[in-house]
Amino acid sequence: MATLIDSGHRSIDIDHLAQSDKVHRSVYTSPEIFELEMERIWEKTWVFVGHESQVREPGQYYATRIGRQPVLLTRHTDGEIYVLFNRCAHKGAQLVGDCSGKVKELRCCYHGWRFNLDGSLLSIPLEGGYDGTDFGKDDPQANMQRAPRFDSYRGFVFASLAEDGPDLKTWLGGVASSIDNMVDRAPEGDLEITGGVFRYEHDCNWKFFIENLNDLMHPMVTHQSSSLTARAVAKKALGADTPAPAAIEILAPFTESYSFFDNMGLHAFDYGHGYSGGKTSIHANYSDVPEYNEAMESAYGKERVDEIFAVNRHNTVFYPSATIKGAIQTMRIVRPIAADKTIIESWTFRLKGAPDELLRRSILYCNLINSSANLVGPDDQEAYRRQQIGLESQGSDWVAMHRDAGRDEDLGDGHIYAKGSSDLAFRNQYRAWKAYMMNGGQSDD
Amino acid sequence: MIEATDIEGLLFHHRVSQFLFSEARMLDDREWDKWAALFTEEGTYWAPASYEQPDPIEHVSLIYEDQLLRKVRLARFSNPNAFSLQPFPRTCHFISNIMIDSHEGAAVTVSSCFQMTEYRRDKPNQFNGRYVHDLVDMDGSFKINQKKAILVNCDGTQPSSSIYF
Ligand SMILES: [Fe+2]
Repeated sequence: MATLIDSGHRSIDIDHLAQSDKVHRSVYTSPEIFELEMERIWEKTWVFVGHESQVREPGQYYATRIGRQPVLLTRHTDGEIYVLFNRCAHKGAQLVGDCSGKVKELRCCYHGWRFNLDGSLLSIPLEGGYDGTDFGKDDPQANMQRAPRFDSYRGFVFASLAEDGPDLKTWLGGVASSIDNMVDRAPEGDLEITGGVFRYEHDCNWKFFIENLNDLMHPMVTHQSSSLTARAVAKKALGADTPAPAAIEILAPFTESYSFFDNMGLHAFDYGHGYSGGKTSIHANYSDVPEYNEAMESAYGKERVDEIFAVNRHNTVFYPSATIKGAIQTMRIVRPIAADKTIIESWTFRLKGAPDELLRRSILYCNLINSSANLVGPDDQEAYRRQQIGLESQGSDWVAMHRDAGRDEDLGDGHIYAKGSSDLAFRNQYRAWKAYMMNGGQSDD
Repeated sequence: MIEATDIEGLLFHHRVSQFLFSEARMLDDREWDKWAALFTEEGTYWAPASYEQPDPIEHVSLIYEDQLLRKVRLARFSNPNAFSLQPFPRTCHFISNIMIDSHEGAAVTVSSCFQMTEYRRDKPNQFNGRYVHDLVDMDGSFKINQKKAILVNCDGTQPSSSIYF
């Protein structure tokens, strides 16, 4: 295991850059480290590709990327899901030029090679031309190539570009239960991605975003202007006794007290995963929708429904590529573009069997919080952007993650707990980051 | 589209155009109270996130605001802790191709093309697209029932923006 990585003109000492309680500024600013991350993290570990509801029917495809590489999520006529590299086996052109669609077959726009949606070759024009050569329709390389590994956990499809490594369920470990809780919140036990997507350009390194998700010391500062203003405007417009509309219920908790966020708590697991909240979160006090509770009770019975609703998590991070909010049914996906450029996609889910009001609340949440033009996301983006520029300075080489270091609680089975104001989430992510960067994504030890 | 065929029609088209220009000018001049007062009480501002988006309720929107949320955003404009508004952006709204799509009684639907340059620091951002104004003609002045700003790239990658298109 090499600590020093020779990247041409200078060597990168991973062990020095990511220490147990601080991290070197260059992990956010260096294009060389970004390239290494693509190779050793993004193109090795399990990365979220899409949700099964995006390719419900045979012939449907959804085009996305794993790290730098274009891939297709498809549903073949055998009913199975595949993750294929989005390149023609012939001269490399992408097989589809748009983001999603439904086709009978994939036909290359350049020389007309045709493929099934499982990647297998259908035909090559004038295929006799390959007779007696090293290539041709019987060569496995004439098929569209599949991602080495892909798997689905309750509808969430992940893929890995490494042949070996832990299976998806093992890798998800303690955060699989966050997917469980989101799916269990659907009376029919199934989710559907719906209602469009935001693609929000961030002028910053991808890690600022993924770290911020469980940074519970920031909402009351960064979002003060939105949350306190929302409280004040609603009080003035509606009076103190009128119940706040959903938009205000969503914005107000961002300025809860430090002790509220401390009580939410932080949970960390292997591979950099984790979540905040648990028994309670900023989503715990939304108004009840009686028809929804009835649909849930008739589907699961009162006792089980109480169990499902007793779990109320804020952000769950599937490091490095995705984060969900099960309690409000939204998901964000991280697309690293360059050391200082990241695109964040936001998606919304319908809980199947739930009244429309639930989806409408998720949409409202997504608008207010995740839109590039709304009341919360732009202030987060501003903070990340200022970090990105601030860390160019030589004021210090280090970014601190010391808060409550040494005071984590080990709950066994790789489950670590700390109060909400702890820097646990950052330390845990960099423990995984370091293991990926040093071992090439093979393991967390 | 309703074409003006007589003086009355031309004057009406002129009134509508002047209204759109002055509404845009209020945004550029940061006359927020005057701008907010152009809306009816039920008036909404809607910037969809997909081009032929059927509704703002079961599909995400870059912005979908009723009067209450409009008050929150506008109050934030003067808040010293609204970090994404530091420094506060300067804008120039350019409006063209103004056409009256329908005019029945007091209800007028107008579409136009817009280009908005937003400058905060470094380089300016460009937002382009189509406005659809649902207006009510009240005693010689207009009120906005809905202002819809459909960016030509509304479903594409967007930069941060905290103001109105
Ligand atoms: Fe935030």
